[in-house]
Amino acid sequence: MLKGHLDMIVLAALSSGPAHGYAVIQEIQRRSGGAFELPEGTIYPALHRLEQAGLLSSHWTTAESGRQRRVYSLTKRGTRALSDQRVVWQRFTDAISGLLGQPGHAKARSGR
Amino acid sequence: MPKPGPVADYLGRLTREFSFDPPLASRVCQEVEDHLCEAAAAMGDSSIEAQGRAIRDFGDARDIASQYAPLSLLRQARRSGAIIVVASGALYLSMKGRIAWYGLMQWALSDNLQAVGKIVLAIDRSAYILAFLLGAVGWAYISTRRVSPRFDAGCRAQLRLGLLLAIAATCAMLVSVIADTVVTALRIVEERPPVFVSLIPLLSIAVEVAFAAVLVTALGKALRSTLRASSLLSS
Repeated sequence: MLKGHLDMIVLAALSSGPAHGYAVIQEIQRRSGGAFELPEGTIYPALHRLEQAGLLSSHWTTAESGRQRRVYSLTKRGTRALSDQRVVWQRFTDAISGLLGQPGHAKARSGR
Repeated sequence: MPKPGPVADYLGRLTREFSFDPPLASRVCQEVEDHLCEAAAAMGDSSIEAQGRAIRDFGDARDIASQYAPLSLLRQARRSGAIIVVASGALYLSMKGRIAWYGLMQWALSDNLQAVGKIVLAIDRSAYILAFLLGAVGWAYISTRRVSPRFDAGCRAQLRLGLLLAIAATCAMLVSVIADTVVTALRIVEERPPVFVSLIPLLSIAVEVAFAAVLVTALGKALRSTLRASSLLSS
């Protein structure tokens, strides 16, 4: 299930600013509270795919260690795609919460 | 190049798995090297054990390559499709230019060549139309495929169909170019016109041959990459 949402997760991790692959993984782990256990290498093909789709741009920089490092950032299209996916995801979670009979939803429905 | 050790070994494995796209392999290896060194350093040291753990967390080299393969191979197939469409346009202009030149020079086919010329030109026209149609359909097909996140059976089937259409279009285009070359050579040999008169037909044939060569090279590269990826990543 996580793999189906990988692109959205990567876009969300980059919403706070440009980052290289390792930093994107750190950001995903930090913001998800370490909930997602995914082979770290899976992030790189996703970054490449999103870049080819025009949702990310990237450039090489030199890290303090002297190694070459590729830094990714959201493009305008990427920012729009993330906003759209947020809306879709919100609808989905609302619908699932309603189906599962979340207390908040049950109260709201009986109060109508 | 990293120092000999687990990271260097892993990057070597990754390069081999990426033999379907060497330029991509070089870029990915640079990124992965940075990642593994940083991950090992974040574990407190860069010992062989830390490097090994970073590699385990990163995942299997073949699995990583198989996630890059669909986009890389689809891009190569799309490039071949685009070249077929552009080459079709160039061939059309070249043929029309040659015919206009023959008209301008009042250079009609001699009676000896009429019969052969009719047959070869009919083959040429049919082959050209077939090449254009197959190329356009193939390009439209491969350009509208969604990039699969995995190099699975569905992705391989899409690439196979796209490349088969491209091969058929290329064969038809080669027939058309050969037919053009034969008719032009017969005209020049039979009539022996002054050099400046035969220069335009010869140049137009050279353009057609050049486009055919570019197409065969691009398609050959896409085919080799797809076969390599299929044999490496499917085993």
